[in-house]
Amino acid sequence: MRLDQIKKDGRFRVKALDCDNECIARLMYMGLLPGQEIRLVHEAPLGDPIAIEFNGCQMSLRIADAAFVEVESL
Amino acid sequence: MAADQIRVALIGNPNTGKTSLFNMLTGLRQRIGNYSGVTIEKKTGIWSLPKGQDVELIDLPGTYSLSASSLDERIAVDVLAGHGQSDQPAPDLIIVVVDVENLRRNLFLASQASELGVPMVIALNCWDVAEKKGLQIDCKLLEQRLAVPVVPTVAKYQRGTQELAEAVERAIDTRPMLVRPKWPEPVQKALDLLHQELVVERGESLREGELQRLIFDRKSAVRERLKSPAQEYEPLIKGVRDKLYQDGYQPDAAESLLRFRFLNPLFNDILERQALVKERSKSEGIDQLLLHKFWGLVVFVGMMYVVFQSVYTWAGPIMDLIETSVGWAQEIAANALTATPMLQSLIADGIIGGVGSFLVFLPQILVLFFFISILEESGYMARAAFLMDKLFQWCGLNGKSFVPLLSSFACAIPGIMATRTINDNKARMITILIAPLMSCSARLPVYLLLIGAFIEPKYGSAVAGTVLFVMHFVGALLAMPIAWTLNRTLNKGRKPEPFVMELPHYRIPQIQHTFFRMYESGKEFVMRAGTVIFAMSIIIWTLLYFPRPAEVESAIANDFGYAQTEDTHSLEYEESIHGKLANRVDAALLEQSYMGRFGEFMQPVFAPAGYDWKITVGVLASFPAREIIISTLGITYALGGEVDEASDDLRTTLSNAKWEHGKLAGKPVFNIPVALSIMVFFALCMQCGATLAVIAKELNWRWAIASFFTLTGAAWVAAVLTYQIGILFV
Repeated sequence: MRLDQIKKDGRFRVKALDCDNECIARLMYMGLLPGQEIRLVHEAPLGDPIAIEFNGCQMSLRIADAAFVEVESL
Repeated sequence: MAADQIRVALIGNPNTGKTSLFNMLTGLRQRIGNYSGVTIEKKTGIWSLPKGQDVELIDLPGTYSLSASSLDERIAVDVLAGHGQSDQPAPDLIIVVVDVENLRRNLFLASQASELGVPMVIALNCWDVAEKKGLQIDCKLLEQRLAVPVVPTVAKYQRGTQELAEAVERAIDTRPMLVRPKWPEPVQKALDLLHQELVVERGESLREGELQRLIFDRKSAVRERLKSPAQEYEPLIKGVRDKLYQDGYQPDAAESLLRFRFLNPLFNDILERQALVKERSKSEGIDQLLLHKFWGLVVFVGMMYVVFQSVYTWAGPIMDLIETSVGWAQEIAANALTATPMLQSLIADGIIGGVGSFLVFLPQILVLFFFISILEESGYMARAAFLMDKLFQWCGLNGKSFVPLLSSFACAIPGIMATRTINDNKARMITILIAPLMSCSARLPVYLLLIGAFIEPKYGSAVAGTVLFVMHFVGALLAMPIAWTLNRTLNKGRKPEPFVMELPHYRIPQIQHTFFRMYESGKEFVMRAGTVIFAMSIIIWTLLYFPRPAEVESAIANDFGYAQTEDTHSLEYEESIHGKLANRVDAALLEQSYMGRFGEFMQPVFAPAGYDWKITVGVLASFPAREIIISTLGITYALGGEVDEASDDLRTTLSNAKWEHGKLAGKPVFNIPVALSIMVFFALCMQCGATLAVIAKELNWRWAIASFFTLTGAAWVAAVLTYQIGILFV
């Protein structure tokens, strides 16, 4: 499952990331690494961007970038 | 500044309270500048340590990492490595400001910074929040494990600064270094190889941390600084990265994985307790409303309405006050200098008038920065950008452009200054360049005058209101293709910065920070009035005043003299005659001035838009500030300079104005196509010296000039089209 496809309820874990995407590379510097627990907290009114929570902080990213993160349901 | 002065750099993630700590430590002893060549704000200040030593404190842009892909990060690396401005060595000490609640992420940055070989002190900020949440962090234990001093602080309440100062004092002598990870063999080999090739053999001055940046970052900005030719180092770096990949370390991901793997055991037991507190935060609850798909937008629109209205209305009375004071000052100067009419005009009309009409915007700047500061500090600004982002994506902008563009509807100057909150440089540039197209309040008088004189009498107030509304969006309409084109053409090779934005916890804004922010922006604005605007005012005045041939006055006086003798002179009549005489003289002198002659010379250019030479002079004279058109039209149509947009006299005079010669002789100058054409011209044209000066300051003069010609050209084309299409219907 990809991060751009997940629903608001539920917890997920990062399976793999494509660090070719600059946005994802940045999130990795903030600690978004394989094995990290993650959840979707907000979606903007037009469905894009989204806000995710990990490690106690909320980061927003665009749907197009979120597609580069592979997650699994917990 | 003394060469031996100790320099301390302040780094940290965004939203850690770094800037408030900086403000608190240095007070008003700050200087704001730009990093050489780029327009990211740079602040330095003087901080007095307890033992009396003054150190220079450098506030670096808030960043999450030193990967040197964004401008902010690049500056941070350069300054920390001593490769920033040519003459500045590396700082003697780094203070890393760490948010207790995000220890892990914040220490990642500290760890990256430690690779540059500069001693370090850690300030654990927001200690109070941690305490309130029952978060207990054993500072002594952390200090032992990290090998550098760890000082809890609460920048908000000025707590811990004394301890921080003492720790810094000690650290200047003891030079404590943060523990550094031991890299796995392949990584270490890669580093050694690069060191050998670049530093030993090619004599590049690179610290270990910079070599790491070359290996770990795909497009490291450190490369741009290498002295060796690209064809030499590019294959070298590529080879090293490829080798690393073969050894099982994806170079782009290796650093985060390895560094976090190294850091986690250092404080995982300390963080266990932290995990307990991390249930649903209060902020998330608030966001259920503020980021709601419907209500979130309602609140947002309401909030923006309040900001916009306040910039418009709160500032109003103070602006009136400034205007009155300027008028007063002009009068005093005029009375004091009656003996020397030229000096009188230079000082009263040129300098006081010119600088005064710029200073009038100061209240709007202060009000806007009041709100911006509150929106930013509370954490709502990030939410606003989150809500609006989708609307701006298609033209390379992001949600952060919204507030600057909205404020440009009041005045482009604060709007352009507000773009500093946009950290993507390209998006910021585009926002600055389209901001002058938002219909600012100085255009309103022009619209009111022309709509009131020509649209309202003929079509009624409903149509008049609609035209007024439409005029406000003509510029925004043109802004869209311009933004799109700029996005396509600007820095073609560079992708826009990735849009990753933190939604920080909500915080109650600190009133002293708000005032500080207002003070800073206000100060900068006033300084500009004293320099660029001052010079421009003198130039424009000169063009409008000279050459002033003496015979003009006597010729007109003679004209009047004949007419006068036949009448009986009541006092009132006498006065009105004098007024009319003065007006006629002013008008004639304006016609004879360099600007007037230039206007007549330029009239053929504006003829396709339906303008006579008087309108042309008005348009040309309004380039320093668009509201000048009203007083200039007043002078050229011989009413006297003291008119405003509601002046009925001016409206009737305009309606009665006839072409003096040419094939239209005797026909009225103004009709609806002409009025619309003027309004369209004013909606699009870059007629504001102050805005140009601000663009030059925020970008550079080349962009200011380019934007001047582009917008003026676009205005001309649109005005001509409006007129030419308009006359088909009249």
